[in-house]
Amino acid sequence: MSGPRRPWHVVLAGVVVVGCALLGTASVRSAEPVSFQELEESLTCQCGCGLTVHSCNHLQCDSAMPLRAEIRAQMETGKGKDAILTYFSGKYGEKILSSPTAEGFNVLAWVTPFVLLAVGGAFVGMTVMRWTKRRQLTREAVQPAPHAPSQYDKVLEKELKNFDK
Amino acid sequence: MIEIGSLALAVAWVLALYAIVMSLVGAYRRKRDFVASAEHATLAVWGLTVIAVAALLHALTTHDFNLEYVAHYSSSTLPLQYTIAALWGGQAGSLLFWTLILTSMSSVVLLQNRYKNRELMPYVTAVLMLIALFFLSMLNYVTPPFERLAFTPAEGQDLNPLLQNYWMTIHPPSLYTGFVSCSIPFAFAMAALATGKLDDVWIRTTRRWTLLAWFFLSLGNLFGAEWAYLVLGWGGYWAWDPVENAAFMPWLTCTAFLHSVMIQEKKNMLKVWNMVLVILTFSLTIFGTFLTRSGVISSVHSFTQSGLGPYFIGFLGVILVGSLGMLLWRLPMLKSENELDSMLSRESAFLLNNLVLVGIAFSVFWGTIFPVISEAVRGIKITVGPPFFNKVNAPLGLILLFLTGVGPVIAWRRASAKNLRRSFLVPVALGLVGGIILFVAGVRHYYAVVSFSLCIFVLATIVAEFYRGVRARQAMVGENLLIALTHLIGKNRRRYGGYIVHIGMVMMFLAITGTPAFKEEKQITVKPGDSFEMGGYTLRYDGVTPSETPHVAYLTANLAVMDRGRQVDTLRPEKRFYKKPQQPTTEVAIRSTLGADLYVVLGSFDEPTKMATIQAYVNPLVGFLWWGGIVLAIGTGVTIWPTRLRAAAPAYAPGARDDAVTE
Repeated sequence: MSGPRRPWHVVLAGVVVVGCALLGTASVRSAEPVSFQELEESLTCQCGCGLTVHSCNHLQCDSAMPLRAEIRAQMETGKGKDAILTYFSGKYGEKILSSPTAEGFNVLAWVTPFVLLAVGGAFVGMTVMRWTKRRQLTREAVQPAPHAPSQYDKVLEKELKNFDK
Repeated sequence: MIEIGSLALAVAWVLALYAIVMSLVGAYRRKRDFVASAEHATLAVWGLTVIAVAALLHALTTHDFNLEYVAHYSSSTLPLQYTIAALWGGQAGSLLFWTLILTSMSSVVLLQNRYKNRELMPYVTAVLMLIALFFLSMLNYVTPPFERLAFTPAEGQDLNPLLQNYWMTIHPPSLYTGFVSCSIPFAFAMAALATGKLDDVWIRTTRRWTLLAWFFLSLGNLFGAEWAYLVLGWGGYWAWDPVENAAFMPWLTCTAFLHSVMIQEKKNMLKVWNMVLVILTFSLTIFGTFLTRSGVISSVHSFTQSGLGPYFIGFLGVILVGSLGMLLWRLPMLKSENELDSMLSRESAFLLNNLVLVGIAFSVFWGTIFPVISEAVRGIKITVGPPFFNKVNAPLGLILLFLTGVGPVIAWRRASAKNLRRSFLVPVALGLVGGIILFVAGVRHYYAVVSFSLCIFVLATIVAEFYRGVRARQAMVGENLLIALTHLIGKNRRRYGGYIVHIGMVMMFLAITGTPAFKEEKQITVKPGDSFEMGGYTLRYDGVTPSETPHVAYLTANLAVMDRGRQVDTLRPEKRFYKKPQQPTTEVAIRSTLGADLYVVLGSFDEPTKMATIQAYVNPLVGFLWWGGIVLAIGTGVTIWPTRLRAAAPAYAPGARDDAVTE
């Protein structure tokens, strides 16, 4: 009864968290081909609006408009997304990218939330398991000695069965 | 009036300090008169803050430009509602407004607890007045609202045009009320730690305050989103700006607390965790204020940036060290013999819900501060923008949505196979069928498909709960459908109010995941008489109309909206040119239906050719966000409404009354 149990929920939590991390970072380095809008969304407008080049609300924006032209020019060279984004970050600095690259120190940005979630998930899983076990032990400790079923037990059992229906 | 306001703030500072000292000494030496004196001082602090606010409002409405604040944030042509809103449009005024809400709430708490929780109240008073003292210190010594200029300018510089919008008159008050309401559970939690009265009395006492905080945080975030949608003109409502994040994080941890606190009430478990959540939520409100006002992280909300950052971070440090120190001190008393009957239970679902909510709060926090960390470690400035937050939070949000369906329905203690089948078989089937239908219909935005399936699942679980409850009442009491539904909700407001809140959340999820998935946008330059197609409509550009008031010059484009050849609407997006300060803004025009918003922006206008550049968007399902907010508000109202209880005393007991009392 109290033999070793597979911590299936811990494994499940791990799978969910890893799945989330993969979903989360899936398009950080997406494959070709890349759309104009995707590139616009990968770059931050430098006018101070705090939005991506795609969302910048200033139609005559002196940052977004030249950047859009530059995106078109880069796309015409036939480069892929990574190469185009490398070009932009090389020219304007990393701050132009709307999200951190998944390289070097920046990996921390992507991974930390999921790692902490995994740690939290494991902690919650183990805690729940410990509490469930404790309950089981308490129940076993207070279980009354078996006795021959009396007529009242039979009546009670019957009533409960009917109640469940 | 100005001198009176200034004096009121100075005296309020002294009295706040007095209230802290007297309440703590009174509690320590068990002197009731000391505690009473501290409470009277607290009420006086409120009165003095009211005087200070009245003085500033008087200066604003009488255009006393000799006052630096008035000269900086208003003008003689500013409409009255924005002149009043200028009270929280600038740094000092917003801190004063914050102090007004805090001291008002403190006074209400004192009056509510005149005859109860007497052991806790001295500490509650001390904590609330400590927070008030910090804000009063800022107002007296760092950013005084009553500073006079050496000269009187003929005209004020005016309120930031972006703030001259209806939603800005209600967004900051809602958000501040939400932030400040978090102080009340925090104060009671600290009082419980100080006194060692760590049962659930403090939780029951502050339940409505926590709900109120959550309610106003929800509204504050939604009103801010509405403001961004209408004013910023980029077609969206949430850009993961650091200041938006600052308001979102306490909402997340407060939501976690509202759920986990039920486990403490029902099973006397999670006492430490609930304390942590209360401390975290309050700390995040101060952290959010720090983010908004420090300028450490660049934000579109630059209108409130200043050098207050170090003071706020210092205060945050004091709060964290003090509260966590007290928590550690009382840790042995907080430990409870936690037990769970089964891993398949509502308790486990709520624990998971807490994990995900806190996980999202952390990911938002991490993304917000990562640029600062990167600059400190690598010396390189980077941007963490919407793509990061969307990618990291989308899967977590979907898990949360799933748990919204599971948590309230799964049985407490242990869910049997029968309970699971009864509660989830039909909702799961409906959710799956919904997802399959969407997929077959050609929807290939996978997040949207999963989200919509989960929305159907959650709605089905809630509808089933209502259905079962109504049927039971009909069978037992013989009521008709409407009466049974009303009584069902009325008899258990907390439970069914919560379900209504969840319906609101589902509606918001529909909008949050549906709008970006099915959004259309187009930028087009047109001359008068030209038409273009958008979202099933034909839009005809009929030129622009210029107009002017002493305050603003308007350039209004006229766009006839045609549906199958019949004109159904006229949209009038504007360019506004504010005269003080000289700043152009965009006023979008929206044709809103529940299915989608047709959202148009006048980008530019060329006078010689009369050509206009129009940015047009079709934002599907966005209306569900606002309607979801209304449903959420109704649900919270149902939950928070006082329950009328019959007097518990037996009818024959001396002094027993058979009239109803209010909880």
